[in-house]
Amino acid sequence: MPEMGFVQQLGIGALMTIKVAVLSYLLALAIGTAFALVTLRRRLVVGFIWQVYASIFTGVPSLLVAFLFFYAGSGIVASLASLVGLTVTVDISPFAAAVAALGMVYGAYLADLIRSAIQNVPPGQFEAAKVLLVPQPATWLLVILPQVLRLALPGMTNMWIVVMKDTALISLIGLKEIMAYAKLASGVTKEPFIYYVLASVFFLGMTWLTYFVSRRIESWSERGYKPVVKQEPAHAL
Amino acid sequence: MHYDPVLAWESMPTLLAGTATTFAVLLPVLVLGLLLALPVALMRLERGGKAVFAASYIAFFRGVPSLVLLYLVYSGLPQLSVVRDTFLWTVFSNAYFCAWVGLTLTHSGYMAEIIRGGLAAVPPGVVEAATALGLSPRQALFRLRLPMAARYVLKAYQNELLIMVKSTSAVSAITLVDLTAAANTVFDYTYDPFTPLVTAAAIYWCIVNIMRIGFTMADRKLNRHLARG
Amino acid sequence: MNAVTQIAVPSPVRRETPAAVAISIRKLNKFYGGFQALRDIDLEVGQGEIVILCGPSGSGKSSLIRCINHLEQHNSGTIRVNGTELTHKASDVAQVRRQLGMVFQGFNLFPHMTVLANCTFALRLALRLPAAEANDIAREYLARVNVQDQAAKYPSELSGGQQQRVAIARALCLKPSIMLFDEPTSALDPESVGSVLRIMEDLAATGITMVCVTHEMGFARRVADRCVFMEKGEIVEEGTSDRFFSAPSTARLKAFLQQVL
Ligand SMILES: Nc1ncnc2c1ncn2[C@@H]1O[C@H](COP(=O)(O)OP(=O)(O)O)[C@@H](O)[C@H]1O
Ligand SMILES: [Mg+2]
Repeated sequence: MPEMGFVQQLGIGALMTIKVAVLSYLLALAIGTAFALVTLRRRLVVGFIWQVYASIFTGVPSLLVAFLFFYAGSGIVASLASLVGLTVTVDISPFAAAVAALGMVYGAYLADLIRSAIQNVPPGQFEAAKVLLVPQPATWLLVILPQVLRLALPGMTNMWIVVMKDTALISLIGLKEIMAYAKLASGVTKEPFIYYVLASVFFLGMTWLTYFVSRRIESWSERGYKPVVKQEPAHAL
Repeated sequence: MHYDPVLAWESMPTLLAGTATTFAVLLPVLVLGLLLALPVALMRLERGGKAVFAASYIAFFRGVPSLVLLYLVYSGLPQLSVVRDTFLWTVFSNAYFCAWVGLTLTHSGYMAEIIRGGLAAVPPGVVEAATALGLSPRQALFRLRLPMAARYVLKAYQNELLIMVKSTSAVSAITLVDLTAAANTVFDYTYDPFTPLVTAAAIYWCIVNIMRIGFTMADRKLNRHLARG
Repeated sequence: MNAVTQIAVPSPVRRETPAAVAISIRKLNKFYGGFQALRDIDLEVGQGEIVILCGPSGSGKSSLIRCINHLEQHNSGTIRVNGTELTHKASDVAQVRRQLGMVFQGFNLFPHMTVLANCTFALRLALRLPAAEANDIAREYLARVNVQDQAAKYPSELSGGQQQRVAIARALCLKPSIMLFDEPTSALDPESVGSVLRIMEDLAATGITMVCVTHEMGFARRVADRCVFMEKGEIVEEGTSDRFFSAPSTARLKAFLQQVL
C-alpha cells in the first residue's frame, strides 16, 4: 500500500505538473498566435525567421531544449543582453526553463494549427465585417476568433495533452513535479510500482478530464453549425 | 554564450556513441510498435469485448507519458514477484530491454490509432468489390485494405515517427546514455553546457530533417503511383 | 441623415432626371497583378436610380462593384460616392462605406451569431447604439424582409432565400443610401430566387439607389432604370432598360441577350 505522506507529496507534485503545463501552454498559445498572425501574409523576412524558428523547435527534443535553457539559459540571456549593451545576470530555475522550453517548442506547432484555422475562415467573413463598418479589433475578436476556435479546438486539445505529458519528461531537469515525487517515494519505500501506477492514474485522469471539458467547449463552439455527423471520438478514453 | 568548435569536435565520439544508442533504442521500437499496433487496430474495428480492450489499450498507452511507462517497466515491474523470482528478472534488469518495452507500448498505442483511422478511411465499396471477386477476408486485408490505408496515413505516420525520434530522449532516465544523455556527460566533465547541447541539438535536427526529406520523396513516389493507377 | 428618409418614404422623384449623382466613376482601371480586370470604366449612377450590371462571367462585374466599396483597391481613375472621393485613405474608405450597403452572392452571414445578432452586430459596434435600440431597428428590417419569425435562429437553420433576405436586412439596418448587390440570387435554389427578388423590387420602389449584378433578366426589365453590359473589363453598352432589351445596338450585347433570355 502507498503511504499517505508520499501520496500527499504526489498530489503536490501533480499541482506543479498542472501549473507548468498550463503556463507552458499559455506561452505556446501566445507564441503560436503571434507567429500565425505575422505569417498570414507572405513576407520575406518574417517568413524566414518563422522557418528557422519552426525548423529548430520542431526538430529537437523538448527535453534537450529544456536542458539547454536550464544549464545555458543565464549565459544565453546575458550574451543577448550584451548585444544591446546591457549587463544582465539571471538565474534560470528548472521551472522557468521548463515553461520556456515547452512554450517555445509547442508554440511552433500551435502556430501552424492557428494559421491554417484562420486561413480556413471564409474570406467573405472579413469582407462582411468590413462593409458593415465593424472596427478591426471587434472583427478579429467577435467574428474571426470564434470561428478560428471552432476549427482549431480539436488540434489544440490534443496539443494540450501532449504538453501535459511532456511536462513529465521535462522533470528530468530537476523539476519537482509528480514524476520527481513518484521517484522519491519509490526510492524510499522500495515499492516503485504503486507510485508509478498512481502517476499513470493522474495522467489518465487529466486526459479524461481534458476530453470531457473539450467536448463541452466544442459543442458550444459548434453552435449555429448544422449538426454534422460526428466521427467517433477517436482520441477519447 | 560561446560555442567552442574544438570542444564540439573533441566530444564528437561521445555524441556519436550517444546517437548510436538513440538508434539502438529507436529502430526495434519502430518495428515492434508497428507489429503490435496492427492486431490492436483490427480489434478496435470489431465489435464487443475485443473493441473495448483495444480502445482501452489505445487510451492507456496514449494517455500515460512514456517516462512513466519507462519507470514502471524498469523499476516498477521487478518489484512484482512474478518478475523478481523468475528468469524475467534478468530481462527486466536490462535497460535496453525496458526502453524497448516502454517506448514500444507508447508507439503501438499511437500507431494503432493511426492504422485504425487509415482502415476506416478505406471506402467500404472497395472491400465489397473484393469479396465479390472472391478474395478471402485475409487477402482483402493484406492485399487491399492495408496498402490503401498505408497511403492515407503516410502524413500521420511521418509525424509519429519524428515524435518517436525525439521521445527517445526519455531513456536517459533509465541509465541509457543516448544522444541527450551523452551531451550532458560532456557538460559534466567540461563545465560547458552550451557547446555539447547545441551540437546534440544539431545532430537531432539533421536526423529529423533527413527523415522529413525521405518522407517527402516517399510521398511523391506513392502519389505518382496513384496518378498512374 | 437623408438616407433614413430615403428608405422610409417612397421617393417621388422621377428617376429619368436624377436630382443628384450618387456614384460617379471616371476612367477606372483595376489590375490583378499583370491582368487588367477593369479598363477605363466610366459610369454615373443618379440618386434613386436602379442600375443593373450584366455580362458574361469574368467580365469584371464583381471587380467593379467591389472597387466601389473598396473591397478591391482600384489602380487609377476616380470613384465618387455622394460627393466623397474614394481614395485609399482609411477615413475616406469609412466615409464611403457609410453610404453603401452590400449584399454578397454567398450571403456571408456570421454563422455563430443568431439572425438578430447578425443584424444588431454592426449597429452596436459600428454605430455604438444601445442594445434595445439596435434590436428595435433590426426587428423592423427583419420584418420588412419577412424573416421576423426567424430572429432567434442561426443562419444554418434557414433556407438559402431566408439567409439572403437576412443579409439584405443586415445591410439595410445601417441605413445606407446606396445598395450594392453582387449576384444575390445566383447561389439560391429556384424556389428561393423569387422571394429575394420580390424583396429587392420592394426595396427599389422605396427610392434607394441600387447597383445590382444579376443574370435575372426578367427582374432587370421590371425594375431597372438603366442596364449596363460589360465584357472583358469594359462597358460595351448601356441604356434604359427598354432600349437595352428591345433594341440592343452592339452585336455583342445581342449575342449575350440571345443566350440568357
Ligand atoms: N482576386 C483576384 N485575383 C486575380 N484575378 C482576379 C481576382 N478577382 C477576379 N479576378 C479576375 O478578374 C476577372 C474579372 O473577375 P470578376 O470581376 O469576378 O468577374 P465577374 O464578376 O464579371 O464574373 C476574371 O478574369 C477573374 O479571373
Ligand atoms: Mg462575379
